Order: sequence, then structure tokens, then C-alpha cells
Amino acid sequence: MAIPGLHLTQIGSSDFLLEPLRNLNIRDQDLLLESITSHLQQARAYDSTRAFARLGSESFRVSRLYYDLAQQALIDPVYYAWLDTLARTVRAINVKMICIHMQPTAAFALARFMHEIPAFETALDISGWKKSGQ
Amino acid sequence: MAQQSNTTGSKLAKLLKLQIGSISETIEKEGQTLFGGNNNLLGSDEITDFCIEFLQLLAALLESKDPHDDASPQFHALEMYFNNLSKQILVRGGRVEDLVRYIQFMQRTLIEALSNDKQVTVEDARAMLLFLSGLFNELILAVFQAYLDEKERTVNAQEAELRETATPITEIWDGVLTLPIIGTLDSSRTMLVMEALLNRIAKDHASAVVIDLTGVKNIDSQVSHHLIQMVRAVQLMGSDAIITGIRPEIARALISLNIDLSNVTTRASLSDGLKEAFRRMGIHVSGKAA
Repeated sequence: MAIPGLHLTQIGSSDFLLEPLRNLNIRDQDLLLESITSHLQQARAYDSTRAFARLGSESFRVSRLYYDLAQQALIDPVYYAWLDTLARTVRAINVKMICIHMQPTAAFALARFMHEIPAFETALDISGWKKSGQ
Repeated sequence: MAQQSNTTGSKLAKLLKLQIGSISETIEKEGQTLFGGNNNLLGSDEITDFCIEFLQLLAALLESKDPHDDASPQFHALEMYFNNLSKQILVRGGRVEDLVRYIQFMQRTLIEALSNDKQVTVEDARAMLLFLSGLFNELILAVFQAYLDEKERTVNAQEAELRETATPITEIWDGVLTLPIIGTLDSSRTMLVMEALLNRIAKDHASAVVIDLTGVKNIDSQVSHHLIQMVRAVQLMGSDAIITGIRPEIARALISLNIDLSNVTTRASLSDGLKEAFRRMGIHVSGKAA
């Protein structure tokens, strides 16, 4: 899906993988949030319609948005604020955000300035999240 | 002043050249006694080479424009010579006292050579003595500097080794890491442990980490915050952190420091911590059926 600086892929029935690209500009936060939520809603609406047609009922399963941090060596307060806002926004449309592949340097830096529980969940990777049964 | 020191220097240089054979022989003999033979710190040829080099460097300094100038290249060369000599002797297990005694012996030998020359006046002898005592004091300082540098390097190397052995992160099961912390936790050590642990989680793809504090004697406010940060960083990487073996005094300290442990899983012992990690991973360990 074409969102500037981001690559959004649907994986499985109603889960999504969000990979930030090098040209991601988080200063365009409002535009990015609108684009992401819009894409997620469209994809979920399509899935719900298909599920309804197939099963005769709507699916109310909470979707997951996996945010891939593999390329993010450092997370500063600005980037953390972006992740936090994105997690809160997608939660409003019943999507849970899970950050995966967080680098040791990023976790080290983030743990130093973070004082509250983040709005997003974390996992080693997608399979790690599924394995833990959460 | 430079003119006078130059005269003192040239007179000393002349004296040195006249008696170089006996001076060299005396200091070489003492060198063999202190560092050669059974002491086995320097070889016989090495001692001879060192003596020759010392006299050459001393002669070069005495013949320089201002032998008192401790910024001159000749002075620097002599300083470096003693610096290297002391490093070599200390590395081989020699004592700094012996080296200082040897330098004092060199000075005494030169003063005795001075007294053998009947042409040296009282004023010249006074100036030469002042010059020699100033010079050798500087050289002894250079030796002490080298000794301190060497000691510091040894202490640093030992500290690094201790750090390495003090954080034994072990993969006790597929995806389960244990980190027993022993001794006193200070901020720098906690940071090092945290860095090593996070890198290990990434490398081994660990799902759970059991941090055992049974061996921790003391904890202060700053360190307890670092500990919480460590747990938070582990959780951010997507692993479960379980703290075990919190001693009563540590528990009391954590509570009195108002440390929030609500998001931290704690268990009484390392064994309980491992059981909890296995439970979370869906692993069931049972005894062999009879």
C-alpha cells in the first residue's frame, strides 16, 4: 500500500505488517496517521464483508499491526512519541500495535527515558508474539 | 643562565668522555647484579646495550644547546629511554625500587667520576652536582610515571576481566537466559550487564530472561532504577524478564526507595523463576517415568 515512507502489508486474515522506510518523515505525523488508519479500515472492511458473506456473521477479532523496528538503531523521544501516537490511534479502530525486532541499542535508549507503560506491545518477532499466545 | 648551563654541560661531557670506560663498566656491573643473573630480568647483552645507550643519550644532552631545558629533544629522548627501560623491567616482574636504586647508583657513579678529576673547581663541582641532581630527579619521576601507567593498565585489564566473568549470561534452555548477578551492583556495572544482556537476547532470540539477585549484597536508589530500566529494556525487546532471589534487605531497600515493581515478575528463587519461564513458554518438565 502506498504511504510515503512506509510499507504496509496485510499478513494473514486481519493482521498487518508496517515497515518504515528510510524516507519516513515523522514530522508529517497527521498525514501518516490518516493514511495508515484509512488503509487499515479499508482492508478490515473488505475482510469483514468477505467473512460475513462466507459465515453469515461479522468478525470482531482485534487486528494486529506489527511495526518492524529492525532498521531503527535508536529510538529518541520524538520517535517514541510517534510510536505512542500511532499505537493510540490504531487502538481507536480496534487494532493492537506490536513493535517487533527492537534493536538492543534502541531498547537501551528507550528504557532510559521512558517512564510510563507504552501504548504498544512488544515481541521478538511475529512468530514470537503468536508463540506466547497473547 | 643558558650560557652557564652550557658550560656545565660541556665540562661534564668532557669528563664523561675521559672516563667513559670506567663509568660504563661500573654501571654495567651494577646492572648485571640488579637485573641479570638469577634475577633474570634482562639478558647480559641487553644490559650492555642499555648502558651504552644511556651514556650516548646523556652525552647528547650534555652537548646540547641548553642541557637544563627539559623540553629539548635530547632530554625527551633520555626520559623515554628510562620510561621504556622501566616498562620492560616491570613487565618482566621487576621491582620499581630496584630501578630507582639503579638510577641513584648511576648518579653516584657520575659524581664519583667528578671527584676523581682534580682539575674541577669547587664552583664547577657545585654547578655539576646541582645539574646532575635535577636531571636524575626528573628521570626518577619518569620511571615512577611509567610504573603508574603500567599499574593502571594492569588494574584496567583486571577490571575488564572481572566484568567479563561477573556477567555470566547462560542459555539454560532454548530461548531462556539466566543472569546470576553476584557482588555489589553499581551504575557502571548495571549498564554493562544491561548492554551484554540485550545483545545476547538479540543474538539468541531469547523469549525469557531470569535475573537472579541472590548474590547481590547492596542496592542503592540509582542502581534500583537501573535494574528497573534493565527489566523494561528486556520487555521492550519482546522478552519476559523475571527477577529472582531478592534478599529481604534488598526488598526493603526497593520498597523504601518507592520503586514500582508492579510490572516486574518476581519469584523467590532461581528455580521458581525457571519454572515460571517454562510455564510461559508452554514447556512442561517432568521426572522420568519409573
